[in-house]
Amino acid sequence: MSDARGWACLAVDRPSPYFALKGAHGTLDRVNAPPWLTVLDDTITACNTHRRPDLAHRLQRTRGRLLAPQLRVLVLGMLNQGKSQLINALVNAPICAVGDDLTTTAPTVVQHADSPSASLVTEPGAGDRRVLAGQAERVAVPIDEVSRQVSRRAGGQDGHVVRAEIGIPRKLRATGLVLIDTPPVGIDTKATLAAAEQADAVVFASSATAELSSAELELLGRISAACPNILIALTKIDLVPRWRQVAERNMALLTDARVPARQIPISAALRMAAAQHGDTTINAESGFPDLIACLRRQVTAKSAEVAPRTVGVACGQAVTVLAAELRTAIATPLVTRTPDVEAQLADAQRAMDELRRRTGRCQTVLADRMADVVSDVEHDLRDRTRRILREVDRIFDDADPRAMWDSFEGWLRDSLDKTAEMNLGWLIERCQWVADRVIASFPSDREDAPADALLAGTTDPVAAVGDLDDPRLDPFGAGQKLFTGLRGSYGGVLMFGLMTSLAGLPLINPISLGAGAAFGGKTIKDESDARLKRRQAAAKATAQRHIDDFFLACGKESKDLTRQVQRVLRDHISERADDMAGRIAESSRVARQTAVAAAAEREQHRQTLTGQLQVLAELHQRAVVLAGQRLAAPEPAGLELSA
Amino acid sequence: MTGTPSLADTAWHLLTSAAELYRDSPRASRWLVGCLERLADPLRIAVAGDQGVGKSTLVNGLAGEQIAPIEVGAGTSVFAWYRDGAEPAAAVCQPGAPAVGVPVARRDRQLHIDLSQWQPEHVERVLVDWPARGLREMTLIDTPAGTGADWLAGQVDAIVYATREPADADLALLRSAQDSAGGPVTTILALTRADELGAGRIDALSSAKQIARRRRSDPAVHAVCQNVIAVAGLLGQAGRTLRDDEFVALRALAGVPRADLDAYLLSADRFVGGDLPVRLSSEARVALLDRFGVFGIRLASTLIRRGADTQSALAGQLVQRSGLSELRESIGSFFSDRAEVLKARSALTGLGLVLRAEPRPPAGRLAAAAERAVAGTHDFAELRLLAGLRAGRITLPGTLADPAERLVGGLGTSVAERLGLPAETEPDELRNAVYDELGQWRAQAESPLLGAAQRAAARTVVRSCEGLLADLAPAYR
Repeated sequence: MSDARGWACLAVDRPSPYFALKGAHGTLDRVNAPPWLTVLDDTITACNTHRRPDLAHRLQRTRGRLLAPQLRVLVLGMLNQGKSQLINALVNAPICAVGDDLTTTAPTVVQHADSPSASLVTEPGAGDRRVLAGQAERVAVPIDEVSRQVSRRAGGQDGHVVRAEIGIPRKLRATGLVLIDTPPVGIDTKATLAAAEQADAVVFASSATAELSSAELELLGRISAACPNILIALTKIDLVPRWRQVAERNMALLTDARVPARQIPISAALRMAAAQHGDTTINAESGFPDLIACLRRQVTAKSAEVAPRTVGVACGQAVTVLAAELRTAIATPLVTRTPDVEAQLADAQRAMDELRRRTGRCQTVLADRMADVVSDVEHDLRDRTRRILREVDRIFDDADPRAMWDSFEGWLRDSLDKTAEMNLGWLIERCQWVADRVIASFPSDREDAPADALLAGTTDPVAAVGDLDDPRLDPFGAGQKLFTGLRGSYGGVLMFGLMTSLAGLPLINPISLGAGAAFGGKTIKDESDARLKRRQAAAKATAQRHIDDFFLACGKESKDLTRQVQRVLRDHISERADDMAGRIAESSRVARQTAVAAAAEREQHRQTLTGQLQVLAELHQRAVVLAGQRLAAPEPAGLELSA
Repeated sequence: MTGTPSLADTAWHLLTSAAELYRDSPRASRWLVGCLERLADPLRIAVAGDQGVGKSTLVNGLAGEQIAPIEVGAGTSVFAWYRDGAEPAAAVCQPGAPAVGVPVARRDRQLHIDLSQWQPEHVERVLVDWPARGLREMTLIDTPAGTGADWLAGQVDAIVYATREPADADLALLRSAQDSAGGPVTTILALTRADELGAGRIDALSSAKQIARRRRSDPAVHAVCQNVIAVAGLLGQAGRTLRDDEFVALRALAGVPRADLDAYLLSADRFVGGDLPVRLSSEARVALLDRFGVFGIRLASTLIRRGADTQSALAGQLVQRSGLSELRESIGSFFSDRAEVLKARSALTGLGLVLRAEPRPPAGRLAAAAERAVAGTHDFAELRLLAGLRAGRITLPGTLADPAERLVGGLGTSVAERLGLPAETEPDELRNAVYDELGQWRAQAESPLLGAAQRAAARTVVRSCEGLLADLAPAYR
């Protein structure tokens, strides 16, 4: 907050909307804040909103650094390009490690102090990532020892030298310049870039003995993304007669690589010589006055020039990252809980078709099978009754129904009962089998009713037939026999009486009487045989009638039964089919509903994101304005609202 | 050298048998004939390295002439082959077309050639014949930056790799360029631009030599090369090609009081622009800077002041101090002395390529023979031991180190040189000397006082001594 002049003039240049709107109510900080600070704060808020605390943290640190009065200058370069020499020459004191084979291994921070002092900051276990935070230790060392210590103790047993800090009383540094000597780039490029991010300016040392190498150019490109204020120090120009050509070539290379940087040719050797001889001409030739002037201008103009540029680039990058994430989020469809509604609906449709087909097939199979059962059972019944009939005929061919009707009747009833029982048993068995097959062939995840239950409630067909009628069996009584005997004997007596009368015998004589008796006896016998025959025929007819009745009753009963079973099974199938169809329909309805809900959710999500992208685009525009051409050039596409 | 028949003979026999076998395949025949020709040609040494590390300067220094670089079109580097020849001549080899001769001029031991009309993609390589003593024993190849490991492994017998500081990328390239048979024996690492170290201080070169020594004992580095040598290529080149007018100018500069001269030599600008109390045009000064660099002028004037006041003395001192002589010695003992073996190895590698590309039933026998020949060659073991001894990776007790280096051919590969005896020594005497050495080293190879590495070294020396006996044997047939 000490350098308010720069902000003030910026604030006048471009009156903030806050000034007009919130003038009375806005905080003082807000009112006086330069535009870069508002952009920075807005970007930090945006980073937090988009859950990127890492970016926010980085910007916070940038904010703290920019508000500090010092200018942190990082001296970078490849191996043996004269970085430490440059710092030594800048402060005119051999404070940084310089050697032909000696390389700076830890960053050395050089800043102003009232009296010369130096200290090493070591952190136990800093080299070991597993130890999270060792307590940093600060060890004071003699100032002429520090460079040797940095090289010697780096990576030593007693902890890792994180950095060395050197304070020297120099006018240059009193203005707020902090110089940081770094290990050569290439050992740990990532650390270098992280350090560059925290620097206000970078002085990149490159030897004039060769033009910028491709590796250096690539590195510069990456550094310019981390820290936009780059000065290229073309070192060792005292050694190279044609350094001007090298400088020109370097500028061309930098332009090609789109790295905005200023180049200052310097010679540390000349600067040292100038210090030795107190010669200002040599000093001027060394190029250091230019470098110092350039750095000093950056210190005074930090808020006015350096800060907006830095903020512009840093915020622009942060916003670009956020926007890229947003755009990815918009482009990728929201992952819903039901992954693929279309597939689900198709599945349901398929299941429905399958169900319909199966139901149809099942009904046909059922009808066919039941028809088979009916014809088989009828045939069986007929076969069995026929056998009984034949048995009846055989019985009554010989036996006299009068003598054995009662036993016959008992036998017939038993036979028919057995027949009915067996026939029905067989029928039930067949029905059972058909029911089992039908139920098994029908897809159902529900517990099936046992097939037996379907067949409950059938009646006994024999009961419906009624009792066996008694046949008309005329008895051949004694009177009838006498009468019949007399009728037969009359003819005999008469015939033989007449014949013997010719012989002179009376009509009634022993011969005619004997013949009469013989004739009478024969007639009685004939009559008795005829009656037996009649009785037998009557008994047969009675039995046949009864069996026919039985056949009819039993056939009807079994037909009823099969029809009943068929109906039950058909109903069962239909019920199941309806049930399943209902469930399928329900599931597809749910799927369709989820799809609709998900689409709505996506749409809403997308709109939210697009809105956020719009906000980011505005922020990016502001950053671009701050950064000037620096940001727009490397990313000509900018931020497009192409979502 | 040791063992009969030599690797070169074996290679020749195998190649001729292969040529017979592949008579009907024009491609294989052409390749095999090329391999046979390579056996007869001088050793091919490539100078490889990144852009701007000083490859061409190194080539000039080694050849002792100003012949590199050769640029095609608008300054593109191409492969430039420098061979020894009676007359300066140059030819441009085009891919798939016959070579075309181009006019070339030799002025002031400098090569003048104009190839700006050529397109770089039409130039496969430029072949230069140049009369130079430095090229008699070897063909130098100046390679463009970014030359691949395949090319290095297939086209040359040995590599001088120039780099300012051996980075991982350099080491990786060298690793892949070396096939398993040769190991690191075919590479020397040159740390170039030593004169730019430490902002051109006058002691920069000794400091550079220390760095080279340190790199030599770095396992990652010595795994890929035979030796590491710091070279100030510009100084070496200037020393090898020092001209009269340059010497006169330098002597005049050395005449200026030291404090005054130092003020002018603070920077290149001051040297060119200042009013030196010496009559030298500014063009001459720029030319001098181009040839010597600020550091070179400082060093040369100091050397003249200290007594190197003749042209040859100054040249010798410059070459000596630049590290170029060390590099040449190294090339001598590691490459040139073993040229036959290295060439034979390359030829057998080439043979292996043919056998793999067009396999035929009898080729298996040839491949096995070639592999056996390379694996059994004792020269590579000697070279590795030599490099180890010189780099200090293998230390032998004081009295053993020097004889070991001598016996494995560190001072020369003839029998007498290896034994440290005069060249005219009688064979009997030589044989007795060999028996003495052999007995001593056999004892060392079993000595419990030595470490495993040291005993392995002693075994290598024993094998060398046995080879010497074999070489001496024909005299008694």
